[in-house]
Amino acid sequence: MNTVSPEDVQSLIQLFDGSDWGELHLQSTDFELHLSKDGAARRGFGGGAAQPTPAEAKSAAIVPTVSAPPVAATASASADIPEGMAVVRAPNLGTFYKSPKPGTPPYVEIGQHVEADTEICLIEVMKLFTPVTAGVAGIVRQALVNDAELVEFEQPLFVIEASSK
Amino acid sequence: MTLRRLLIANRGEIALRIVRAAKAKGVETVLAASAADRDSQAAIEADRTVVIGAAPARASYLNGDLLVHTALVTQCDAVHPGYGFLSERASFAEQCEKAGLTFVGPRAETIRLVGDKLAARALAKAAGVSMVSGSEKVDTVADALQIAEGIGYPVITKASAGGGGRGMVVANSAAELEAAFDNASHEAKEAFGDGTLYLERYVQRARHVEVQVVGDGNGNILHFGERDCSLQRRYQKMVEEAPAAILSDAVRSRLHQAAIDLLSPIKYRNAGTVEFLYDEADERFYFMEVNARIQVEHPVSEEICGIDLIQLQLDVASGAPLQLTQADIKPRGHAIEVRIIAENPLNGFMPSPGRITQWLEPQGEGVRVDTAMKTGVLVPPFYDSMIGKLIVRGADRGDALARLRAALDAFVIEGISTNLELLRAIVGHPNFVDNVIDTRWSERVLLPSYLSSKGK
Repeated sequence: MNTVSPEDVQSLIQLFDGSDWGELHLQSTDFELHLSKDGAARRGFGGGAAQPTPAEAKSAAIVPTVSAPPVAATASASADIPEGMAVVRAPNLGTFYKSPKPGTPPYVEIGQHVEADTEICLIEVMKLFTPVTAGVAGIVRQALVNDAELVEFEQPLFVIEASSK
Repeated sequence: MTLRRLLIANRGEIALRIVRAAKAKGVETVLAASAADRDSQAAIEADRTVVIGAAPARASYLNGDLLVHTALVTQCDAVHPGYGFLSERASFAEQCEKAGLTFVGPRAETIRLVGDKLAARALAKAAGVSMVSGSEKVDTVADALQIAEGIGYPVITKASAGGGGRGMVVANSAAELEAAFDNASHEAKEAFGDGTLYLERYVQRARHVEVQVVGDGNGNILHFGERDCSLQRRYQKMVEEAPAAILSDAVRSRLHQAAIDLLSPIKYRNAGTVEFLYDEADERFYFMEVNARIQVEHPVSEEICGIDLIQLQLDVASGAPLQLTQADIKPRGHAIEVRIIAENPLNGFMPSPGRITQWLEPQGEGVRVDTAMKTGVLVPPFYDSMIGKLIVRGADRGDALARLRAALDAFVIEGISTNLELLRAIVGHPNFVDNVIDTRWSERVLLPSYLSSKGK
């Protein structure tokens, strides 16, 4: 498995999405792919997990074993999003929180239906917590960021399959 | 305390300059960039780049909360604000201090002090440095005559309540002041409903000179010579030189001492500049203001002194004692900087953002270009339009000028309008070559002839 194209990854994600599996882990010499239906299940996986980096932001979908430079990671993140999916992006830099308070259930779970105005996470800047809404009605398909991670401006947070009207 | 990781809260050439200076000192760099600058040269060279917000400065470079949050979350221990943006915002320095971050700048209280006009004047007064104007309000002719005696003629009367020329009279002698005072006061009262006047020293041909200093925060202040930044357009500097060739050695040392006397009592920390207005006619200088930051034109002082002022900033911010003494700093030769601006001088100096299709910068002995630009880069419309600085160094002013002329001729920027051709006209102008300019020379002499030669 020398080269893995975005199309390959997309097919894998679609297969995985349609399956009953909760997690999928694929590894070769120069490539590592981890798919999970629980955004939080990825902790401790792969290299550099102890030090949150922007490169890790899209790691719920794909983690290259060689860490990508942060800029490239941010810029290319949207390339992995399948058609028909909406991406919820960070409105500004801040710390991402999936739950309203520590120890409480997350705002949303994978597979959950949300409305456009459903609050799906919090972004904190200097103790100021701003809720982020889904912006589109549909099913939450992916959570791309781990709890308490730094997210950058416009970084993808969630993938939502928009409901057809 | 040694700095380990530095957040750079700025953009453009100064962000790149800080990244490189920090790396040279073994300090890790995190660049806080706006969305417009995520692919900038500073972003490429920084150890890490974090996109903090949208392109407009208020959503990114002017948002102190975002910057401090970024510094904390990325485990930085210091913040460098560059120039402009939040560099002289006392509240930002305070926010950094409270968050346990080292602000690479003065203490918040210092920024507040030198930023307050009256407090700064009090500093100057205590240091025995003359000021541009008498701030006191003048009630009677007798008072005016007494104050004018202290300021020295010529003086100009100004209305306390407003500007626009009303109440303004230039007096070259006590007799002229006595004759003009009541009329000026009456005119001010007619115009503004308040006849209160104050007096300023009137300088017909003023030059702008400034002293570069670095303070360690314990009262030790080093100076790195002075600069002459008289070539301005609407108070914006265009060309800066070091040293100020018009000064006699005696005046030069008094000027340096004045800057030190001003900042030493407040235990100034950081690189800083004390700006003076200089009257060539009687060789007197007058305090204008303190700039409590690294300035755009710092490279000319670096070139003649052979030091890196940004690295020194990092040293004093970390609390390290100054390794240099004044005797170690020996200015040599002459350096000139010109600011390269993305603007169209033939269209009212309109900013001209856009894609640079070709960027060929001059190289060679004594030539330095501080820029974050290269071929293919987009100059975004959101920020200041300065895109680079060309700095040359020579054995003396004539030598530096020859280099500057050659370097400007070799500079190629295509895709956007720039002021390169205007800069070439300045460097070739006999007044500039003879160094007989003043702060209003560009508006009075240069631009009328330049624009008319272009059919404007």
